[in-house]
Amino acid sequence: MPTEYSLQELSRLADVTPRTIRYYIVGGLLPAPTQSGPLARYSEMHLDRLRLIKKLQAAHLPLAEIRSRLSGMADAEISTIAEEEAFPPPSTNSAADYIRDVLGGTSTHPSAALPEQPMVANVALPRMESPGKPAKPPPGPEPDRAQWERISLDPDVELHVRRPLTRQLNKRVDRLIAIARQLLEEE
Amino acid sequence: MPCRNITMKARSDREFIRSTYRSNRFVLAELTAPHSHVADGTERRRPPVNLAFVLDRSGSMAGEKLRLAKLAVEQSIARLGSEDRFSVVVYDDAIDIVFPSTPATTEARRAALQRLNEVTARNMTNLGEGWLRGCAQVAEYLSADGVNRCLLLTDGLANKGMTDRDELAGHAAALRSRGVSTSTFGVGADFDEVLLTAMATAGGGNFYYISETAQIADLITSEVGEALDVVARDVTLEIDSPDGVNVESLSPFPFTTRGGRTVVSLGAMVAEQVVEVVLRLNFPFGELGRETGAVLSLSAGDDTEVVAGANVSLTWAYADPKTNDLQPRDVDVDRAVARIFAARARQEATGLNRVGNFDAAQAMLLSVSKRIRSYAGHDAEMRAVVAELERDAAEVAAPMAARSLKEMHFRGYSSAKCRMVDGKAMRRKPDSA
Repeated sequence: MPTEYSLQELSRLADVTPRTIRYYIVGGLLPAPTQSGPLARYSEMHLDRLRLIKKLQAAHLPLAEIRSRLSGMADAEISTIAEEEAFPPPSTNSAADYIRDVLGGTSTHPSAALPEQPMVANVALPRMESPGKPAKPPPGPEPDRAQWERISLDPDVELHVRRPLTRQLNKRVDRLIAIARQLLEEE
Repeated sequence: MPCRNITMKARSDREFIRSTYRSNRFVLAELTAPHSHVADGTERRRPPVNLAFVLDRSGSMAGEKLRLAKLAVEQSIARLGSEDRFSVVVYDDAIDIVFPSTPATTEARRAALQRLNEVTARNMTNLGEGWLRGCAQVAEYLSADGVNRCLLLTDGLANKGMTDRDELAGHAAALRSRGVSTSTFGVGADFDEVLLTAMATAGGGNFYYISETAQIADLITSEVGEALDVVARDVTLEIDSPDGVNVESLSPFPFTTRGGRTVVSLGAMVAEQVVEVVLRLNFPFGELGRETGAVLSLSAGDDTEVVAGANVSLTWAYADPKTNDLQPRDVDVDRAVARIFAARARQEATGLNRVGNFDAAQAMLLSVSKRIRSYAGHDAEMRAVVAELERDAAEVAAPMAARSLKEMHFRGYSSAKCRMVDGKAMRRKPDSA
């Protein structure tokens, strides 16, 4: 005999509230259960559909779109997709990469640096959403570079200093900056 | 029994909508975060925090301001445990990583203070790069289940390196979506409050105006205390609505809409924090008697338990003009709507005043106060909002001192964001538990 669930069981397994399940039934995303009221029983097919709806929602598909996709799919197909791995989680080092790109000057133009909408923060997007992501910098002495400080002496001249410096050297660098700025300001 | 979950109440200002015109209806969603202790008396395991303190050391910070900023860092890191991380970055026109990201052990905290004591005030402000370097320290050790935040303190303008507001706010949003949030602290009369507000809003953190130097330590340690008291990270409010209904958040939280789904990013919620979100729904015209609705639900990153059950369905019915005109209004929703429009107008008016457009600034506040008066009736709370707007309208009609401008802007920001007047989180009152 196929597995059957009560509304509460289905709610727990699919991790959606009973209220949402009822809303989906009314909205045509889920078929109605075999009986109504407390005796209502739901099948594995309901569970698969709910799991798939959650995945599609995570990809920011509107409910109307989800409904039309589900209506064109066989139960077996829904079951297969619902069991597949969810969309890939965001890479954990992407914030670090992003800052390296900005500070390294590979994407100084804000519109190039910010291809995504700012608010879709914590939901994994499908792969196709990020075609314009700036390329990673080539492998190189990256960890070292984080210690370098760029000091602008003039719009066209920069001094690069690797920190930390000894106190003595630091004083000399400060003098060097002062002298260099004075020199560059001379006509 | 203390509640384990975020609770959400939501209601609309009116239940009928017009069948022959488009109608705007407002929804007030009130969220209350749970206590940090769970029902059986054990403490909820707090997520680790991963913080960067980014301090302005430009010339104007010399003396008391820098001393108190250092003290704030000292008091803040004293509250961290060895499962937390912190880093300290100072900037003027150059960036110094005073203390790279390190687990907050006793030795590390001691060593950081020693290095911090050697910091003295110097040149101009490369705020952009200083902040990004702080974010880089956080990003290097991004904690998947923790609170990753960069705290930026400044008393001046970004006048070196990256200075464009939109560019900096754009980077804040991009970093927020990659897990690093930003809170900003502006001290005194000379910083750019529009920039710092934009960075905090896009960055998923908070903005604080520190009018008196003496408040530096209190507000920074309070923000760190909030990070330590987070019970749900990345809270989002999702609104599913039928085709043709436009949904927007009037509260200053970033939101996106795709098809019939609007997602409002509320950021982290701290124990017992109360957050109000005001939404505006614009309905198309429809068949008399037909019902339409929206479902509001919450999510909090991967933590499904903390938002379990926080769903609300709202319905509206298309009705004739007379029913629409005579229908009762929910006064609590009207008050929240009045507060949010007043707060937004206040921020816009200070912007206009700053650029010398005094007439437009005054007109902006007067038109909003008139609009609120039209539905305030005899409600004392809404009348107080109107009176305050009228007072502010007189003030923005002439050049304002920088501090008064910042104070008015901050009042608007805190009110819209549902935070206290000093910028701290609004918490549930003990008697309403």
